[in-house]
Amino acid sequence: MNEILVTSLLIVALFLLLGSGVWIGLTLAGVAWIGMELFSSRPAGDAMAITIWGSASSWTLTALPLFVWMGEILFRTKLSESMFRGLAPWVNALPGRLLHTNILGSTIFAAVSGSSAATCATIGKMTIPELSKRGYPAEKVVGSLGGASTLGLLIPPSIIMIVYGVAAEVSIAKLFVGGVLPGLMLAALFSGHLMIWALLNPAKVPKADADMSLAQKLAESRHLIPVVLLIGGVIGSIYTGIATATEAAAIGVVGALILSAAQGSLNRSTFVASLLGATRLYCMIALILAGAAFLTLSMGYIGLPRHLAEFVSGLGLSPGVLLVALALFYILLGCFLDGISMIVLTMGVILPTVTAAGIDLIWFGIFVVIVVEMAQITPPVGFNLFVLQGMTRREITWIARVCAPYFGLMVLALLLLWWFPGLVTWLPSRM
Amino acid sequence: QTKWDLPAAYPATNFHTVNLTQFAADVDKATSGKLKITVHAGASLFKAPEIKRAVQGGQAQIGEILLPAYQNEWQMFGADGIPFLATSYAESKKLYAAQKPILEKKLAEQGMMLLYAVAWPPQGLYSKKPINSAADLKGNKWRAYSPATSRIAELVGAQPVTVQAAELSQALATGVVESNMTSGATGVDSKLYEHLKYYYDVQAWLPKNAVLVNKKAFDALDKPTQDAVLKAGAEAEARGWAASEKVNTDTLATLKANGMEVLPPSPQLKADLQKVGETMLKEWLDKAGADGQAMLGAYRK
Amino acid sequence: MRKLLDSLYTGSAWLAALFMIGVLAMVLLSIISRVAGFHVPGTDAYAGYAMAGAGFLALAHTLKSNEHIRVTLIIGKLTGGARRGMEMWALGVATLLSGLLAFYAWRLAWQSHEFHDISTGNDATPLWIPQILMGIGCTVLFIAFVDEWILEMQGRRARAGSDTRHE
Ligand code: NA
Ligand code: NA
Repeated sequence: MNEILVTSLLIVALFLLLGSGVWIGLTLAGVAWIGMELFSSRPAGDAMAITIWGSASSWTLTALPLFVWMGEILFRTKLSESMFRGLAPWVNALPGRLLHTNILGSTIFAAVSGSSAATCATIGKMTIPELSKRGYPAEKVVGSLGGASTLGLLIPPSIIMIVYGVAAEVSIAKLFVGGVLPGLMLAALFSGHLMIWALLNPAKVPKADADMSLAQKLAESRHLIPVVLLIGGVIGSIYTGIATATEAAAIGVVGALILSAAQGSLNRSTFVASLLGATRLYCMIALILAGAAFLTLSMGYIGLPRHLAEFVSGLGLSPGVLLVALALFYILLGCFLDGISMIVLTMGVILPTVTAAGIDLIWFGIFVVIVVEMAQITPPVGFNLFVLQGMTRREITWIARVCAPYFGLMVLALLLLWWFPGLVTWLPSRM
Repeated sequence: QTKWDLPAAYPATNFHTVNLTQFAADVDKATSGKLKITVHAGASLFKAPEIKRAVQGGQAQIGEILLPAYQNEWQMFGADGIPFLATSYAESKKLYAAQKPILEKKLAEQGMMLLYAVAWPPQGLYSKKPINSAADLKGNKWRAYSPATSRIAELVGAQPVTVQAAELSQALATGVVESNMTSGATGVDSKLYEHLKYYYDVQAWLPKNAVLVNKKAFDALDKPTQDAVLKAGAEAEARGWAASEKVNTDTLATLKANGMEVLPPSPQLKADLQKVGETMLKEWLDKAGADGQAMLGAYRK
Repeated sequence: MRKLLDSLYTGSAWLAALFMIGVLAMVLLSIISRVAGFHVPGTDAYAGYAMAGAGFLALAHTLKSNEHIRVTLIIGKLTGGARRGMEMWALGVATLLSGLLAFYAWRLAWQSHEFHDISTGNDATPLWIPQILMGIGCTVLFIAFVDEWILEMQGRRARAGSDTRHE
């Protein structure tokens, strides 16, 4: 019963602080502090400082500020405008038209970036202003970006898969490959959703441009060359061994600067504006990450996620019911903790149960990654929601609402993976 | 009832962590639940480089660290990371005995005590290409993950490459890294056989994991509980060394079973590496001073 | 005083931006050194410290630019005294928390110095040196929150509507 008391108290504190307008990163730190002071005998302050320093200076995160900067540079070029010009004639016939750029862009960028926040910030910088200018409804623009950018986790490379792979001692290479088909399937589900919505709401989709002949379409495609070169260069640098997945972000920044110079939009003032804009956007995310790191530490001390996991593990459920229970458990946890913390705090307890139930650990890894993707867009603590709030200035409740359909589609994806486990296991088994 | 937190950097299934979990259970039983130790595996509470200061500062009462990782702070911590000084379990135990009094003194100054230490299996050389002498390593992209591995690369003329453990698998696949020096156990954990073909059992060194206790937290326990902790620690130490040897045998077999060539080093390679070891020992002694001399004297006695 | 405070926030933001360039430089250096076959030890660690510098030093400026996010669902609906009371409460909590953060950040750097805590990587940096960036950044944030709190009390704080879009 003590557990329930602790949980309710912390949740009340969280909603009280968030609701009264305390900044989100500080709220998380505050809740963590309250938790440590009340329910653990450790000195909160020193532990907080070590942990926040550790997360803020961790090499693994360096791709995030760089990708954010890349987005800010591209935002000040004609790149997104020309990309949309090149794509428009091809998607005219597709219900939903240019809305699919969020899905396509996120899927491609996910092959470069291992984090969903970076995917969201970089793609959003290019698509949100352009799609809004063309009159696409904000709810679909923001929602599809919020949903699709979580693919950054599922399509390799992926930070969360590395964390899981180390904890579960499964091949990270196989996990990466295992994420490819489910990632494409999710992208297809998202696009399918947009098409159905567009067919049902034809009035809400802006008019198509004039029809073009194939030759004209191909000619318009020349506008895609810069973006293809840029993304191709970044992906290429990883797969040719010039850069690691984290370092590729630096190639992205340099590529964006070159592109910006080639288009003539690079000058002192745009450079400074992109630099300061990126520093602020990164700083906003960093404060939340700092609070989240401390909350994770506090939860580690209090042992709440661990005890919940022990409870689920101790129920002696059959594989199917166990997975349902785990999905609910992670969705609930994902409302309050970020994905990596969830994995780190619970895997030690959950994995033996999962192994005993005879569930394939590669398959379970993909299952966990999708559940973590869902956590990115569930309130009150969802990193994609925060990034989108920072970029659009909308209320977080509105953003969570427009992202909700994509949450539902991810639940559907979990069911599909349960019915067709081969979607995950087939490719890795051929390695 | 007292509660201790034990941060550990390695996953729950690693033999060191399994041993720690057993240790915690033993303490629980011996004290009839008066001292509960929670093992936080997989760096879930503090990350590897933060664990020592967490114990030192009292954020955790007990914690497990990789000793040679702290060589930058104090050279003596790196004694079991000196290549080709102690290359078998028997030698490693002897080295531990020589190190122990010096380590205990330093840790006492820092407000901690050494509960026990267990060696990792010996470090071998993983490579994409066959390596018959140090000359074959020239220009080879060698993963430098610590000051010692950087220095070896410099001495054999390999190119040190900085790649984090998390990205190793991808770096091997794309050729960013071509060789790596680590134990058979780590090689199996990180599935190095997926990308590398050769393992040379050069037994470069046996680094130790040490379990440290915050002295104040220990002093706050009553005498019977203290004794229970010490006794369970001694048992864990004995158990850990035996487990390490078994893991060494098992993991080399696993490497083989996964298509890796597990080979003894050629006489030339062995001689070349021996020379590297001598140079590095000399360099280490210069930095470690009197403590280093004392330890080496005791070890070679 | 106003001028001094504003230049404190902008000054540290410029430093943060320089550290952002530092992250890029360090990551590029590690790529170039590998391709060109030379070795610079510790680029990964330096990139991490630079990232910490970029994050912490920009905190106050980001706050003043109204880019740190929060939930304004309730606060946005309030007017007059209720609004001011709620704002002062939120700013008060934030002042307290950023003050704790600043205090313990300095204590962290001081303890690292006392413990001789040195990076375990190839860079072997005494950690108190980069940790000073966290101390400075959190202190400037604390000052900015105190500043905002006083401005709010005097009714001179710029109202941040929810319509100010990012760029
Ligand atoms: Na990805
Ligand atoms: Na969430």
